[in-house]
Amino acid sequence: MENNQRNANAVSSMTAVNFSEMKISSNPVETLVAFSIGSGIGMTIHDPVSGVGGVLNFILPDSTKANETNPAKSPFMFADTGIKAFLKALFEQGAKAENLKVVIAGGAHIMDQTGVFNIGQKNLEALKTSLGDFDVKIHHEASGGTKSRTISLEIGSGRSIIKTFGEEEKKV
Amino acid sequence: MTNLNGIVEQINLLEPIPAIASQIMTKSEDPDSSLAEIADLIVNDPALTANLLKICNSAYFALPRKVESVKEAVAWLGLDQIVEIVLTNSVSNNFNKGLEGYGLGEGELWRHAVTSAHVAKSLAHRYGAAQNKHLIYTAALLKDIGKLILGRFVAFSFEKINILVHSQGYSFNDAEKNVIGMNHEELGAMVGEKWSFSEKLIYIIRHHHLTDESARQDLETTLIYLADIICMMMGICAGTDGLSYRFYSDVLKRINVSEKDLQGIIAETSENQKKIEHLLKLF
Repeated sequence: MENNQRNANAVSSMTAVNFSEMKISSNPVETLVAFSIGSGIGMTIHDPVSGVGGVLNFILPDSTKANETNPAKSPFMFADTGIKAFLKALFEQGAKAENLKVVIAGGAHIMDQTGVFNIGQKNLEALKTSLGDFDVKIHHEASGGTKSRTISLEIGSGRSIIKTFGEEEKKV
Repeated sequence: MTNLNGIVEQINLLEPIPAIASQIMTKSEDPDSSLAEIADLIVNDPALTANLLKICNSAYFALPRKVESVKEAVAWLGLDQIVEIVLTNSVSNNFNKGLEGYGLGEGELWRHAVTSAHVAKSLAHRYGAAQNKHLIYTAALLKDIGKLILGRFVAFSFEKINILVHSQGYSFNDAEKNVIGMNHEELGAMVGEKWSFSEKLIYIIRHHHLTDESARQDLETTLIYLADIICMMMGICAGTDGLSYRFYSDVLKRINVSEKDLQGIIAETSENQKKIEHLLKLF
């Protein structure tokens, strides 16, 4: 995973962040993108002062609930371990909690998927709990419903772009 | 409403599954047929054998040496794996295309099909349907075959479908039925009839979204449904239809899937995805 976190040599590039992955960059011509998000959450964080930003694409709320999967090996699969590791990595690259702009997309659900099986809702709740622990606020949120979404972060401008089928693209 | 005959006629535009592959499909679905019978079918088809050996000798399987016969391939990989390769290979040409209407790029429906087939196979082992694992694998692979034809009609009527789904609470398949007069499950079942799939395979394709209450009592159909919604939740090539299908918590309860189990299966699928991505390149 460490090898993928920086792509400083790229001239101009778009880097995919697959589910259960996280990528960080301070390359101003790089765009990080999490495609086709369902119940999981694509989360962009950018610090305009240090110029560092990243994308986390997690799919599950709670690392203690995934039977045989080792969260130490796949921390970015889960909200609890993933957000903690994501923020830590950003801070190590010079980002400061008070500067962070956080944008999230995802947390969708199958129609009528309520209660314990609504993993999208659980992902959103887990994300908010984790961010609360670090006193970080959400700048913009596109969540819930039954549509899949794609979110990207332009490292240079710090702008996040959310695409949803049948809707206008949202730039924040 | 569209001219339904015009839609059905388009089944002829699909590339038919080779006769040998459908024979193997039928044999592999029957828990009573012997593995030797299936191996014989493969051996007697030179084109299939050549293709199979090419795939078996790819870096993906990392065999210690080159295999030169079906017998050797079976010895190294096991007949279950060989059957899966043959089934996957026989339908890949149709699925590897982009899909207008459903908003899927080239290869995306194929990625969904193969991933859901692997999830379904894992569910078959977990939930007491291991004896039907080949049927379940094939059904998950083929369940959306109707989308290959319906896609352009969905594209044509997308605005109407989208309004029904997002303003009136229709599931995507109910909206297809309402606007076009037919949904991708029904059309897929017609493809199955035309290509002489088994009754059970046709049944699963026709009911894989479990709209019909009696299908919710059927274990195999339920497992394919579950594999499908897990892929949707993970966003594995979710297109314009996204997650807009109905959830039935009672079927999860009936086969005893807990919240923790569901999360465990999603985690396992995520862990396996890198392998699936490599596998996709072989076909």
